[in-house]
Amino acid sequence: MGAQVDGTQTQDELYRTATQEYGPALTRLACAYEADPDLRRDLLQDMHLALWRSMGKFNGRCSLRTWIYRVAHNVATSHVIREVRSKGIVSTFLTLEEAESQTGGEDVEMSADRNQALGRLFALIQRLDPLDRQVIMAYLEDLDAQSISEITGLSTENVWSKIHRIKNLLIRRFPRGGHHAL
Amino acid sequence: MPCELPDNLQILWKEAGMNPSTLSLDQVRNETKRLQARRRRGQVVLGACMLLFAASYGFSYFLFPDTLARVGGALTVIVCGYWLFHSIMERAPAAPHPGETDGLSFYRAELEHTRDIHRWLSWRWLLLLGPFILFDVGVGQIYAKVWPLIVLFVCFDCALLLAVFAIWLPVKNFRLARKYQELIDALDAASGRGKVHREHQAPLA
Repeated sequence: MGAQVDGTQTQDELYRTATQEYGPALTRLACAYEADPDLRRDLLQDMHLALWRSMGKFNGRCSLRTWIYRVAHNVATSHVIREVRSKGIVSTFLTLEEAESQTGGEDVEMSADRNQALGRLFALIQRLDPLDRQVIMAYLEDLDAQSISEITGLSTENVWSKIHRIKNLLIRRFPRGGHHAL
Repeated sequence: MPCELPDNLQILWKEAGMNPSTLSLDQVRNETKRLQARRRRGQVVLGACMLLFAASYGFSYFLFPDTLARVGGALTVIVCGYWLFHSIMERAPAAPHPGETDGLSFYRAELEHTRDIHRWLSWRWLLLLGPFILFDVGVGQIYAKVWPLIVLFVCFDCALLLAVFAIWLPVKNFRLARKYQELIDALDAASGRGKVHREHQAPLA
């Protein structure tokens, strides 16, 4: 999985490859990080600009996929902290444990409406600590623990532990999933 | 990694990006130029505002004959100069490169940067308090004879300045700095990694 990159690709070509292959993932990330549609558009644009600028420094020491996810998540993290700071408050993110222990009635059952279910999933992610968001989103993107570890900087054991909690969390929040329920 | 998510959450997740909005290369270049221009414009406007603020207090040196007002005005100009010097000379540490830095290090660096901003602001507001009060008292002395009511205004203004510059802003920034430090400590404890310096980061895989 992931685009193959040779040393001759220019910044523009790399950016084009990145957006062709990972454009949908970037859109999902922006949706999961920012609830406000206008701010989300700005965030997605920031991700694209940072991605294009960063491609000039891409040296192939990690896979293009890892690079793209790192840029996107780090830009989004900056965005989250900037938004929190502009409100003059300190972030009150939920840890995975706190999110697990909260069993809000409206979150217990997955709605029959797919958009509503997706909205709830995004809302859940938006309440988490940025690092936990990175893990949960990378997990939903089907990345393996080693890749998640490279992106987040957490140890593989730590990633596995978080994934275990994330599974529990999602099972608690969306217990009646399944294709029919979706 | 085997897909063990509750039912089809992963499919639902993937569907969320079915209509990705992307930027063409020309759009990216134009937007980058526009952002750079906007940043430069913002710096110029900020500098101009500070200069105007300082100039107005500098002008008061010649406008008001009272010594206190003059000292207050001159000190305000000096403090403004210090803030301007700080913003130009002591630039914020360069943000880690988003592609070369893992999420944990980047998040920590962002938290540290925010904490440092609040730490810096936690006592620098006090520097403006003295000059403002001196200026107020000086102006009050000049006009007290012709308009005695101004003493009340000066007292009210001084109380307001004290409340804002000596209590509210420092306490707020100090608390925020402490909270961000707690977030950093919690992050370190959860990751078991301690302080991560950019130069000491693990090499990329």
